[in-house]
Amino acid sequence: MNINQLIALAPVITLAGTAIAVMLGIAVRRNFILSFGIAAVGIIMSLMALCAVWRGSPVQVTLLIRMDVYALFYMALLLSAGLAVLGFCYDYFKDREGENEELLLLLLTALLGASVLVASSHFAAFFLGLETLSISLFALISYPLNQTRPLEAAIKYLVLSGVSSAFLLMGMALIYAQCGELYFSGIGRYIASRQDMNVMVLSGIILIVAGLGFKLSLIPFHLWTPDVYEGAPAPITAFIATVSKGAVFALLLRYFVSTDSYAYTPLLNVFSVIAGLSILGGNLLALLQNNVKRLLAYSSIAHMGYLLVAFIAGGSISSVLVVESVTFYLLAYFITTIGAFGVVSVLSTPQTEADDMSFYRGLFWRRPWLAATFTLMLLSLAGIPLTAGFIGKFYIFTSAADGRLWGLLLAIIVGSGLGLYYYLRIIVVMSMNVEATAIKPAQDWISAATLAVLTILLVGFGIYPSLLINIIQSVSYGMEWML
Amino acid sequence: MIELLGWVPLFPFLGFLILVLAGERLSKPLISWVGVGSVAVSALLAALIGAEFLNGTLQPYHLILGDWMKVDDLSIPFGFYLDALSVTMLFVVTGVGFLIHVYSAGFMEDDPGYARFFAYMNLFVSAMLVLVLADNLVLLYLGWEGVGLGSYLLIGFWYEDPNNGYAARKAFVMTRVGDTALLIGLFLLFTQLHTFDIQLLMLRAMSQWTPGTLLPVAAAALLLGGAVGKSAQLPLQSWLPDAMAGPTPVSALIHAATMVTAGVYLIARTNALFMMAPSVQFVVAVIGTLTLLMAGCSALAQTDIKRILAYSTISQIGYMFLALGVGAWSSAIFHLLTHAFFKALLFLAAGTVIFCFHHEHNIFKMGGLRKAMPLAFWSFMIGSAALSALPFTSGFYSKHEILLAAYEASPVLWAAGCFGAMITGIYSFRLIFVVFFGVQSQVVEKSLDWKMSVPLILLGALALFGGMLKIPLDSVFPVLFNHDHTFDLVSVITVAAPFIGLSIAVLYYLTGTFSAQRLAGSGLANQMRIFFFNGWGMDTLYDTLVVRPFKTIAKLNKNDAVDGIYTTIALLGRGGRLMLSASQTGRIRWYASSMALGTVVIIAIGWLS
Repeated sequence: MNINQLIALAPVITLAGTAIAVMLGIAVRRNFILSFGIAAVGIIMSLMALCAVWRGSPVQVTLLIRMDVYALFYMALLLSAGLAVLGFCYDYFKDREGENEELLLLLLTALLGASVLVASSHFAAFFLGLETLSISLFALISYPLNQTRPLEAAIKYLVLSGVSSAFLLMGMALIYAQCGELYFSGIGRYIASRQDMNVMVLSGIILIVAGLGFKLSLIPFHLWTPDVYEGAPAPITAFIATVSKGAVFALLLRYFVSTDSYAYTPLLNVFSVIAGLSILGGNLLALLQNNVKRLLAYSSIAHMGYLLVAFIAGGSISSVLVVESVTFYLLAYFITTIGAFGVVSVLSTPQTEADDMSFYRGLFWRRPWLAATFTLMLLSLAGIPLTAGFIGKFYIFTSAADGRLWGLLLAIIVGSGLGLYYYLRIIVVMSMNVEATAIKPAQDWISAATLAVLTILLVGFGIYPSLLINIIQSVSYGMEWML
Repeated sequence: MIELLGWVPLFPFLGFLILVLAGERLSKPLISWVGVGSVAVSALLAALIGAEFLNGTLQPYHLILGDWMKVDDLSIPFGFYLDALSVTMLFVVTGVGFLIHVYSAGFMEDDPGYARFFAYMNLFVSAMLVLVLADNLVLLYLGWEGVGLGSYLLIGFWYEDPNNGYAARKAFVMTRVGDTALLIGLFLLFTQLHTFDIQLLMLRAMSQWTPGTLLPVAAAALLLGGAVGKSAQLPLQSWLPDAMAGPTPVSALIHAATMVTAGVYLIARTNALFMMAPSVQFVVAVIGTLTLLMAGCSALAQTDIKRILAYSTISQIGYMFLALGVGAWSSAIFHLLTHAFFKALLFLAAGTVIFCFHHEHNIFKMGGLRKAMPLAFWSFMIGSAALSALPFTSGFYSKHEILLAAYEASPVLWAAGCFGAMITGIYSFRLIFVVFFGVQSQVVEKSLDWKMSVPLILLGALALFGGMLKIPLDSVFPVLFNHDHTFDLVSVITVAAPFIGLSIAVLYYLTGTFSAQRLAGSGLANQMRIFFFNGWGMDTLYDTLVVRPFKTIAKLNKNDAVDGIYTTIALLGRGGRLMLSASQTGRIRWYASSMALGTVVIIAIGWLS
């Protein structure tokens, strides 16, 4: 490793350093505000480091990590999401009993794992990043220790995550046994050099897909999703829904493009089945759900299905368009999901989690700004024009149509129709003017500011998407250069 | 100056926005300043632009403000087109519109919806200006629908009375029938000629189509459908008498001077297309003739002062259609201009009578108002003289031209037109004699302020001398006629026809030589009176042909069969959810084993496919 590589790694190192700084800070003096400050500054510094590294990219740091435009862009996305979640965590945990400082530490290590994941170019880095992320998540989910539901959720996630890691490792082993390579480009060379398909490699990739499918909560690996979403504290749910899933999807895409696995056409059939099931199943499950967190969990299953359609289209259309579609969709999904769970988190009190539909009854009349924000987030999730979600869905449609995936396109249309029903249901409930239980008054200024920024981005990218599209296109062309 | 053309429709629109957003929070003087002022500025601008244009070379001026829609090879700009025709319309809409706005400031003074009224009026004026200035058919259609909306809102302005709402809906739905034809016509023209620009469209039609073939005939017929609906001609005329439910200034502006003449404007604007479809152009003439006769007869039987004027409007537009049909394009537009003056005058004068008479509409409950309301009386005298085309009034010049042109096309059309002119003489002076002569039955309480009297005086002057206005319309239209009968029999009869009507009215309603009651008493005549009174039974006809069958079908399909599809979808959704949510057991052993099972399944899919 030389000095250039070390500099290129600066964002990751900054993040790790911040985690250590927070830990030492806790050892010296327990103060939530102080720890929060250190963590926030650390993430911002890491973001600044990203900008500094951007110009020198791409840099291969040993065989494990590749800091290219794609990795840097996704790191920036994950870190920004992390920062937003951090803001919500502050307001959510500041009034709670117990020692809440370690939460920030875990959040930083989870971010570290996610960052390594999107930059990995080797199975080892891949697995390390994924496990760093997952193990931090177990603790984050069960952070309110005195409650039963978070604990139950964490145990479920721990056990099932273990199962999925087993599949993942088995898949890696099968591929290694055949190719003798753990380096992505090496695997790519092996696949490209063989005309015929190898059953071992195929099975290995499918096992990896199964492992990652769990993290992405795709059907049939989705059963944990509503339980864990419901049990975890609202800001942490936002973290699982965005940072964890986004990083895994980014890795999946990078793996497929750089190992040329699209050449294995049976894989596309596997993905098509998974995507179709996820879209229909996720939307159907959400249909009459009365718990907002569970509803968003089911809807996230469907959203990952939509995303997978663009991914599948990569089998027949240029990978540039696929990266562009996936990235835009993910970004819109990040903004809206964090925003939606942010609203849930703002409404929650130390005693009760605001996840039942009854909390939202008449919200328009009590907290009009919050209700308007939530409405915008839901409309974006439903893909209504003038929001970023619409542009994202438009990309998915374009990719699916270009890739001639008519069956999946039909599933998306049916799914979108179903989705509109349950998103609008929440909006209707919010506008009902009925005397309801007391709603928490507005006092969380950091969360409010975060929500305001998210709303502006949501509408801004919805009305003027070309700003973002230009950046994303430079990223996707950077990706092609990598091949 | 001419490059400021874009501001002409914009000012009333800004007025509309201000009034709609600020509404009744503004003080009454401020509302009238915004409402009337915006139209005043636009009228001033239009006058300056028109003067500059008419003193220039008369070359059409084309102004493009920007893109409206741009998709592939379809490009629709916000483009305005100024030639002698649109200048004429510009004068009518802004000039007459301004006077009516001033009048309204007085007429509507005590109405609680003062701001709402001016907001709608400004919206209407703005849309009408877009209609007459548009350089392409889509923008024209925007204005076309805009004036339809304005008309709907203003007919139903006093919405507390359900009958007014019904009249508004009737007007909207019936004109919509025509609008749909127009829209289909637009699609046809675009798919065949690949442009919406009117001038380009005419050029392409002339170079690509053979006259008299299917395409030009179909396109012209569809445009005619739109024109017939908007201009209340046969068979879509029955909405206009009901539209009198709106405030009187509205009737003057929308249902006499401007909107109802939009159909005439449309046909004149696309005259090249109609000349390529001689059969359709002949139909235009026939429709005009039939309408002017039918509406004239109906006007004879009415007792409501505004309905008389409404039927007379339908009849006068019939004359314009007759002119268009025989190719006397500039005569049609000339009559449109003079008609706007004298019909606005008549409506506003009727408005003052109604205003001072506690909203009484029945002419037989009035009487002897000549002394009590001299201004209204003289306005009616001038307006009716112009309406019946007595010599040296404005209406005389325009109607005379039309009838002479009709004679050259077909003596039958001319004879019908002259007969119509006689009827016009009868009903206009019947109205005057009944309302202003005889015994005064009621006391007039209110007096008119300057806001209402000044527009009357100005419009009176225009109705008298408007015939002297010479707008060089020949620069737009092909000239087909050279009139050279100065003193032959045809023109003598043409001039004499209204005098015969006037004499009949004198005998029946002034001197009482013949009794109208006695005439109505006899069986056949009474039945005819009722038939005319009900507008030739058109409403009953539509009720039997359209409304009742529709209601029957609706009743039959009470439990909408199509709904079944959606109910099935909803049931499927619920069923699917029920099955899937059964899998969410919350048990970790089931979760883990389903993961394993899922993996086996997808490996199988991978291997087998």
